[in-house]
Amino acid sequence: MADLRISGLHKYYGSMHAVKGIDLEIPSGEFTVLVGQSGCGKSTLLRTIAGLEEIDQGTVQISGQTVNDLAPKDRDIAMVFQNYALYPYMKIFDNIAFGLRARKVEKTEINKKVDHVSKMLSIDHLLDRYPRQLSGGQLQRVAIGRAIVREARIYLFDEPLSNLDAQLRDEMRGEIKRLHKELGKTMIYVTHDQIEAMTMADRIVLIRDGKIEQQGTPSDLYDRPKTKYVAGFLGSPSMNFITARVVTQGLGYGLILENTAAQLKMPENVSQRIGEYLGSNILIGIRPEHFSLNNESKPEDSGTTIEVSIDLVQPTGARTYVSFKIGQVTAVAELNPRDIRQNESNLTLNVDVNRCVLINKDTEFSI
Amino acid sequence: MLKKLSLPKIRKLGFKYQLIAPSIIILLIIGLFPLVYTLVVSFQGITMMDNDTSFHGIKNYVAIADDTRFWGALFHTVMFTVIALPIELFLGLFMAQLFIEKLPGRQIFIALLVLPVVVAPIVSGATWSLLLDNRFGPINQIINWFMGEELTLLWTINPTLVYPAIFLAEVWQWTPFMFLLLLAALSAVDKAQLEAAAIDGASYWMIFTKITLPSIWPVMAVAILIRGLDLFRLFDIVWALTKGGPGTMTETISTFTYVKGFQQFETSYTGAVALLIIIILSFVVIGALRKVELSR
Repeated sequence: MADLRISGLHKYYGSMHAVKGIDLEIPSGEFTVLVGQSGCGKSTLLRTIAGLEEIDQGTVQISGQTVNDLAPKDRDIAMVFQNYALYPYMKIFDNIAFGLRARKVEKTEINKKVDHVSKMLSIDHLLDRYPRQLSGGQLQRVAIGRAIVREARIYLFDEPLSNLDAQLRDEMRGEIKRLHKELGKTMIYVTHDQIEAMTMADRIVLIRDGKIEQQGTPSDLYDRPKTKYVAGFLGSPSMNFITARVVTQGLGYGLILENTAAQLKMPENVSQRIGEYLGSNILIGIRPEHFSLNNESKPEDSGTTIEVSIDLVQPTGARTYVSFKIGQVTAVAELNPRDIRQNESNLTLNVDVNRCVLINKDTEFSI
Repeated sequence: MLKKLSLPKIRKLGFKYQLIAPSIIILLIIGLFPLVYTLVVSFQGITMMDNDTSFHGIKNYVAIADDTRFWGALFHTVMFTVIALPIELFLGLFMAQLFIEKLPGRQIFIALLVLPVVVAPIVSGATWSLLLDNRFGPINQIINWFMGEELTLLWTINPTLVYPAIFLAEVWQWTPFMFLLLLAALSAVDKAQLEAAAIDGASYWMIFTKITLPSIWPVMAVAILIRGLDLFRLFDIVWALTKGGPGTMTETISTFTYVKGFQQFETSYTGAVALLIIIILSFVVIGALRKVELSR
């Protein structure tokens, strides 16, 4: 059964249309990540679920019950805020216990629960301190502890890691994912960071301009993006988009990359889809990791290689990013550092044409 | 400090001390000299009739101890303070809570509400005196309309009405000050904390006492201190409305000192009174500040 069902949700701030008709179903126990650029309405959506914002149109149902007019405290939710929102004048113990006390839980029960949660998050040695005495990572753990100590049906996370430094963020990402596994609760997580979305989500809901652009598993969105926006949003460095003209090649079709002589032969299953575009331009999207170095030319590679001259080499240790021009467009390839020789200026790259994304240039939908 | 500035040493003092010396000297002349002078005068016997500057010991202070009018005035002052201060505080807090919400025309209402603070206290006292006047004042007229009979309410003379009249004027003038400070403090409370508490299931009262109140307390404490000291020096409104009367029923320390010093010209006695008040208030302020510090 769906824990959360949103239908036809609209939200206005004055004349600003923040959420433009969202339909969403979140099954029980799933970790759903709402991702999108800042200002796309993802936080607003989360806040309407929490009951912190009024709904202008549509319904929000939590376990079958319409909660549009319910106060936040009656919705059976718990939330972790971006700036932690800990109560500065209470000790950590009281911060975590606050929600239980508000709900008149028995004292021994409170002690037991706070003890359990604080051990789970390894903050049990901090219970006697005040929030101002804690570091960012510790504060974040307390904020999470305050949410999970109450056994709510849905847990909401509003960009909880964005105030942490990179290393701590990686650590907490794993921690939250582990927590989800342990608790098996429905969690909805808002972030603008596509890496967080990819690594943590059972399901990603990508929001653009107040509407859902695409939803599905991380690999759905990564490998089979429905639009150019989705293809470009996920992945770092992001996908290379190159304009190409559809031509016949052998029995199938090929693509001539704009402003180059390079021609890529499309495999059969792709050819079927691009026939109708014969003679016109489309976009081909190639992820950096779908380039590989062509060391010795093999016959099966013919028609899927391009010659490029190197612009810039950026080693990161595990992988090396090589920038080059394809026609007018700067593209990036992710290569094995051992393959790149010093002072090399030209490369022959294989393109994994089976994994390329083809996009209609006018509608920006994938083909 | 004074010792350090004695002439032979001054040459040895660094350039920095020479630089700040003028302002320090001016501060001492303005701030300390009158105090010291008051102290000196309070041990003499200067009155209107007699410019007796000889040393009289603690005669004036002994006289204060026996002066029931002084203790009466002190009692009235304390009473005004302990009654008006909570009223202003709660009214101001209540209004600030109302106006923290987004209301249409909020800015205009806030500006209007704050107007009384802008009026000089002596002017507002005079205005209230007219408003409460038995023959010309609109307040009695309105009360008469409602009661349907001619009542003679002598607000500034009738012993049972005179306190309400003073509280009315005082609260009217200074509640907006509390309101303004507390409104600023309330709007600085972290919204996310309030939202977190709302989700946690806290009642309005629990949110107010556990989250809002602790976070506005530093501002509130300062507001209480400022208003408390102001009330202790209450003069203008009382003077304009009753001149301390009927009899000495509404006399405050300030009006008492004024009458003693500038109508009866008991200069040395007044000096002793003034000094005693300064000492009492210093203890109050030091105690209060310590409380505020501790609460952080």
